[in-house]
Amino acid sequence: MTRILERIPDYVRHFERYVPSRPDPVLMRQYGASYLYRLNNNENTLGPPPLAREAIAAFPAERAAVYPSGDAYDLRQALATRFGKSPDQFLVGNGSCEVIGSVIRAFCGPGDAIVTADKTFAVYEWVAKFSGVETRLVPLTKQALAPAAMLAAVTENTRVVFVCNPNNPTGSWWNRATLERFLAGLDSRALVVLDEAYREYLDDPDFPDGMEIMERHDNVLVFRTFSKMYGLAGFRVGYLCGSLEAVDIVRRTHIAYSVNSLGQIAATAALADDAGHIAATRQMVAAAKSALHDLFDTLGLEYVSGAGNFIMVRTPMSDTLLYRKLMQKGVMVRTMTGFRYPNWIRVSMAEAPAMEAFAKAFTSVLDTP
Amino acid sequence: MPDDLCVSMEIPPDTAFACPVAGAAQTLAQRAGFGQRESYRFQLTVEEFCLCLIGLAQADEPLRIDMTGKRYLLRAAFSFKAADLSLGGLNSTACSVGRENGEMPRDLGLLLAAQAADRFRLDHRGGDQFCIVAEVDRRYPALTPVHAPEQTRPPYRLALALDPARLSQAAALAMSVYPAWQCPGSFRTPEKFADLVADGQVACVCALDAAGQTVGLLTWNRCSDQALYFSGPFVFAAKQARGDVARVLLDGFLEAVAREHYAIVLGFRSSDDLIPGYFEPLGSLQACAETGCDRQPVVFRHLREDTGMAVWCSPSIENFLRQTYERLAMPRDILPVEAPAGRPRRESLLGTLLDRHRDLAELRPFLDGQDMAANLAASVAAIRDKGIHRILYYMDLSRPWEAALADDLMQSGFSPKVVLPHGGQGDMVVWQHDQDS
Repeated sequence: MTRILERIPDYVRHFERYVPSRPDPVLMRQYGASYLYRLNNNENTLGPPPLAREAIAAFPAERAAVYPSGDAYDLRQALATRFGKSPDQFLVGNGSCEVIGSVIRAFCGPGDAIVTADKTFAVYEWVAKFSGVETRLVPLTKQALAPAAMLAAVTENTRVVFVCNPNNPTGSWWNRATLERFLAGLDSRALVVLDEAYREYLDDPDFPDGMEIMERHDNVLVFRTFSKMYGLAGFRVGYLCGSLEAVDIVRRTHIAYSVNSLGQIAATAALADDAGHIAATRQMVAAAKSALHDLFDTLGLEYVSGAGNFIMVRTPMSDTLLYRKLMQKGVMVRTMTGFRYPNWIRVSMAEAPAMEAFAKAFTSVLDTP
Repeated sequence: MPDDLCVSMEIPPDTAFACPVAGAAQTLAQRAGFGQRESYRFQLTVEEFCLCLIGLAQADEPLRIDMTGKRYLLRAAFSFKAADLSLGGLNSTACSVGRENGEMPRDLGLLLAAQAADRFRLDHRGGDQFCIVAEVDRRYPALTPVHAPEQTRPPYRLALALDPARLSQAAALAMSVYPAWQCPGSFRTPEKFADLVADGQVACVCALDAAGQTVGLLTWNRCSDQALYFSGPFVFAAKQARGDVARVLLDGFLEAVAREHYAIVLGFRSSDDLIPGYFEPLGSLQACAETGCDRQPVVFRHLREDTGMAVWCSPSIENFLRQTYERLAMPRDILPVEAPAGRPRRESLLGTLLDRHRDLAELRPFLDGQDMAANLAASVAAIRDKGIHRILYYMDLSRPWEAALADDLMQSGFSPKVVLPHGGQGDMVVWQHDQDS
């Protein structure tokens, strides 16, 4: 085995594997908690829309024996209808993480680079690193992606620029004018991935719609997901949309059959019934944010609350200690050191009981020396 | 590192090959630019280890030697197979054992090898496979005192490119401002510190003021597969600016390591400039600085969420461990381990590192043996004879046989002081010898 390990590329050898959180019963036993509110992954605690729920409940067990549609045929038809595009402009993946991998495999080779922010969704950087692709990270300015600096970071080796819009974890976003200026400045020197995982949480007319932008810029790919707004994170369904030419290239590096049948069915049903669900979710998020703004203001804590179903707050103690203390009280948050925000936590917005439990636990931990 | 020189070979278990290996060691040392004294010590180390290990290794099994010449040290790694390995001659007490009886010390070769090297360690790779790594340091010029900048002005920022001169200056500044026990040993020879950074053995962030003056330094290096040790923040600015500089250093440090593969950051040498809220206390050790007996705080922080761990634990320190983990809110499954009933090996082996400048000796168990309690007691006595007061012992709780040594340690006057999460292969208990015992 030692000899095999010696032949592993350095970029894999030195890569830090992601350690997912353990199942709830294990965590509750470890921390001695009698319940657990998960406020760490920006899940939608309202769950999926009604039609998706019905589709899930109606899934016949016999179908489990049959392979899923290998390229999510029905779901792509539904997406095409929804956004007025060709089904072949869509590529569905096992969550957006898989799609990120497919894009990097398709467009990047040895010696190439990607550009993204230093404090953004970590998976762009991770996938690039374990693929042996250089990552050029651009610092945020005032908690927002800095377009001029990102343009300056683009070199002749840059193949993909990842723009998380709205940005996770800060919730900042580029408006139409900013994005258009950025694309004009880039002048198609690289592919631009607009990651709009939290797009449905916004209702601002100045927010640029990637589906429309890509019609005028064939170097733009748009990522969206059913994991956040649609409450289907457990099924892992994400997708990208772009020009026929670009998507055809990505499809060549993409694993077929990676999205399971039930996930495809649930996502298709969710699309057909999302208006009320989106409205209810936005209302729930707004109420939760309002409550947390009041809490953090009262405690005199700095926080960042932009678009999306999360808020980031700077804590007067190590974020990882706070995590453990909150876990003992049955509340799970996301530590931000890994996002390069030491001593910040990110809290997902949820319904009142969860937010009240968070507020109580958070206050109690900060009050205890 | 591109300028490393490497020589590897496998030799049959035949003493006739020891001489050519020693010759290769000498050539390597000379080609790597080491002085005559270091070259000779390295040659002696390699030759004596070869001769001893050829005698100890299994017949027909080759001895592999990997020698490396780096800027700052020479290293020889001996990989071999041996059944029922006994290396008592490598103990720091081996010399005095022989002397007390008025006889030549036993295992004279091992004794010579251990004395010629600056340090060695034994890795047990499972079964009958072992590796001994011995190192000889390059001699560097001693520290030249420097003065901290008298006036500094904001804004304070991290230096992006660190040249050797800047690094050496920063290390010398730290030595001039902070007590020796708070500074890494390499700061005493600032050029060595710069070489360690160039080689990637040590990483650091350096803070500058608006005029480009060096106003701060924070260093870190690998402690285990999961943990980093950091030292600092060392701040060379006026009082009113210290907090700002320290924050620049701490944020820069944590952002630099946030997405590395390490789970935890540990600090034995955190300075008074550490900003509250960044780290958690693990406890303290007796520092015995030249100015008096200070308490040496030990701090840590996770870089990611702790997913729990199982640790082996002797009944005699179970309460200590449970209380520690409860205080840290750190989930651990404590697995009981009993004191060893029978020990197959006669001689135990303890690794000993001495640092007179920091009044510090560190003991690590390499092999258990029937004489472990006596070896511990003799090692303590030998260290005290050298005028060193602080004696630490490291116990890795991932290894049952190490965890089972708790009673031996207590009988030898050690007390468990702090737990270093992920400090070894698993959590590590640091024991300190009670000077009054």
